[in-house]
Amino acid sequence: MNLFLDTHFNDIIVILFDENNKIVKKEIIQNKKQNSTYIMPTIEKVLEGKMPESVIVVNGPGSFTGVRLGVTIAKTFGWTLNIPVRVVSSLECLAVSINAKDKIVSFSDNNGYYVGYFDENNKIIKEYEYLNNSEYQNLLNTEKVYADIDIDYEKIISFAMGKNTINPHKVNPIYIKKIEVEK
Amino acid sequence: MKDVFILSIETSCDETSIAIVKNGSKVVALTILTQMDTHAEFGGVVPEIASRMHTENITMVLEETLKKANMKVSDCDAIAVTYAPGLLGSLLVGVEFAKVLSYVYKKPLIKVNHLIGHIYANKIDNNMHFPSLALIISGGHTELIKMNDDYDFEMLGETQDDAIGEAFDKVARVIGLKYPGGPNIEKLALEGNPTYKLPVPLSDDSYNFSYSGLKSGVLNLVNNEKMRGNEINKADLAASFQKNAVDELTRKLDLALSKTNIKNVIIAGGVSANKYLRKEINSICEKHGAKLDLPEFIYCTDNAAMIGAAAYPLYLKKNFASLDLNASSSANIC
Repeated sequence: MNLFLDTHFNDIIVILFDENNKIVKKEIIQNKKQNSTYIMPTIEKVLEGKMPESVIVVNGPGSFTGVRLGVTIAKTFGWTLNIPVRVVSSLECLAVSINAKDKIVSFSDNNGYYVGYFDENNKIIKEYEYLNNSEYQNLLNTEKVYADIDIDYEKIISFAMGKNTINPHKVNPIYIKKIEVEK
Repeated sequence: MKDVFILSIETSCDETSIAIVKNGSKVVALTILTQMDTHAEFGGVVPEIASRMHTENITMVLEETLKKANMKVSDCDAIAVTYAPGLLGSLLVGVEFAKVLSYVYKKPLIKVNHLIGHIYANKIDNNMHFPSLALIISGGHTELIKMNDDYDFEMLGETQDDAIGEAFDKVARVIGLKYPGGPNIEKLALEGNPTYKLPVPLSDDSYNFSYSGLKSGVLNLVNNEKMRGNEINKADLAASFQKNAVDELTRKLDLALSKTNIKNVIIAGGVSANKYLRKEINSICEKHGAKLDLPEFIYCTDNAAMIGAAAYPLYLKKNFASLDLNASSSANIC
């Protein structure tokens, strides 16, 4: 059994899936964000004391702390159990969930919009961006942007399982949004 | 009794540290990965960067610690982690990491207060005697605590404003010294004499401390001299500030030793690495015939070995945490 973990934004999503990438168990804890109180207990509930054979983690962008906690948990499982770890970005999750030719996908936090540009095979065709409100409005004036996407977790899992595995030491978050000292 | 090995984790600020400690007093292996050089570029610890670096490095720090100890995680009896106080984002990385270890290896999880860790640094290669007076002096704390026994604390006094380490760092900035300010003031003070007259912090007969007045005193002095066109002798100013800051501690310790008649003193926290302070406190203890316990220098600053030492009494009491453990930026020890 394999573990899928997404703590990049408002919800905690923990999924157990089989060797055919089919979902066996899914727990979604809503609006708890990076709350450390809920993540490991939810994983424990899903795994029922068993150990995963591989891990997929959503490594951002999104809430800095949320992403960091998911990544820390995934790389620790990966290193201690010596199992494969794969990452999938939050924007790839959106792109994979829709069928379209060229896809611009986005989601917003309180201050701006994370934007990803993908082709029909979900290949990234331009670097991820974090746009402020007016930049985002400009984008909307010229391009079709997909937001409010229904997430398809089985598609995301199949997509992620097709990616290369990463040495657990090297599994790290994608942050994108600049912090004060970087500006 | 069977030996107890505790794997301990400390990520409360800008050091990623993991240790294996035997029976709460012998360090089998200790790794401390400091981020000091990175934060020095910004003139102080940037919390978000500290958290990021913990996540980047934590599994490698574990690997190195296990290699040094020639042990596996499964050889350890418990996983201990600093859960408070400190930078929340940094603490959370250590806490989640510890929970995964606890889950994977089915080992009990022990939550440790960082300040209690600093006190128990004195247990490493040593023993603590009770009752004792513990002086916790760091960048975030200045507290005088009476310890009646293991984990039996009674607060006697604390700072009313800035912590002593904070005052060192702020004054360092005023004088134009680089981060980390505390050690740089100590170094510069060696070349000077305490010739400047600065405010005496809090000369009442409580056990409380105050450092904001002293800090403002330095700032005013620098500004006034600048206005008069006088050059400041930085070494003399560093020595003057350091003397007044340490006098504040020794005066209150002197008072407490007289009033309580306790014969054991423990110094804990990052500022306890200051050699001038060690010497002054030692002479107060000698005056009262009290035994002074000082951690070795390496155990004064943030490290995971002290967390393993502080976790040991909790392990014996089976005081374990569960996987819903959360981190907290603040926590009192009594």
